[in-house]
Amino acid sequence: MLGHSVMVLILRSLALTLTGLLLGGVSAFWMSGLFGAAPVTPASDISLEGWVSDWAIGSTSANAYTRARVARHGLLALAKEEAVYFIRNRDDDGDPLKASCHYELQGGRQDAAWWSITLYDEESRLPMNDDEALSIDATTVGDADTWTAVISQTRPEDRLWLSSRGAEQFDLTLRLYRPLPSLLATPETRLNPPSIRKRHCGAGS
Amino acid sequence: MRALVFPAILVLVMAVIGHVLTLHLVPSVIMGTAMNRLAAQGAALHSFRLAPRTTPQTQLVVRPSPDLAYSICAYHLRGPQPLRIRAAAYDDYGSISFFDARTNNFATIRIEETAPDSSGPDILLRGPAGGEPDGLFDGHDLKSPTPRGLILIRRLAPTQQAYDRVKAIASADVCALSSSAGTISE
Repeated sequence: MLGHSVMVLILRSLALTLTGLLLGGVSAFWMSGLFGAAPVTPASDISLEGWVSDWAIGSTSANAYTRARVARHGLLALAKEEAVYFIRNRDDDGDPLKASCHYELQGGRQDAAWWSITLYDEESRLPMNDDEALSIDATTVGDADTWTAVISQTRPEDRLWLSSRGAEQFDLTLRLYRPLPSLLATPETRLNPPSIRKRHCGAGS
Repeated sequence: MRALVFPAILVLVMAVIGHVLTLHLVPSVIMGTAMNRLAAQGAALHSFRLAPRTTPQTQLVVRPSPDLAYSICAYHLRGPQPLRIRAAAYDDYGSISFFDARTNNFATIRIEETAPDSSGPDILLRGPAGGEPDGLFDGHDLKSPTPRGLILIRRLAPTQQAYDRVKAIASADVCALSSSAGTISE
């Protein structure tokens, strides 16, 4: 009888232990943005016109949540002295970026040696297409003070283009390599955040 | 009511342990998976390999930049032998970055920091058990916080032409165990 009671107590404790560990693991995944497509989380410490970043990326000072999120969504990211990364997953109206829509991306010069903007799908991967139009960078726009690009599934004529074909929902990553100290000190005044204006959605986007 | 106190405390304590343990393990597990994937793709330990031009079809890790050419060297420094690293000079943006097994970017060195006529920066990477370099070595002296890690050379290559330029010089990149601070045992 006593043996039965002890066995029940052990099994109940084991079940409670496993339940607790599972809850802890799931909550860690959720809080770090490890479930599915969540490269942007409320834990991101810099947010400028929809572009979010975390200056602790790549550094030993990154907290455990940032470290886990970056490992999942941006493995081998550099520390901020070499590169900073901004991610944006909504347009100027606050709507999620979708491949079924046609957008105009407008930007200008940046306080960095070199910059690029790349389109990624919900799984933080380059969308499966062969358009060779997944990124624009400082060498593409030349010395222009301002530039405009189209984000759509079909190639526009004579325009800079980011192809969203094969992505469904997507986000953009703005990389700034060798950021100037002024940008690192006051990103809110020194970053030139590109705007993303939705033109239309539906067929022909 | 009192009967629920012990189960509630047990679940709570285990949840905290599970939460902390998960956060601690995730970066190492993802890094280990990436290193294994690189090995499966034919990347040898202690040797640089230029990855194919980044496309949706060739991407190995999340969020690769299609504008950059990547050369990768995985290391495992168990003993005192250091790793000698050199990136061939490049006339555009280029960097060598070092990542430990916990994904920390513990050092980054710019390729163009060296004289234009040189063969690139000279770097010695020691593991946690590595000794001090000898007095003759005057390059970058680094220590990896963990025995395992990855070294990544990034070079700006937004076009096929630029990638081909990188391809022509990348064979001169060096990542090899060194018997001392001065000699490479390949």
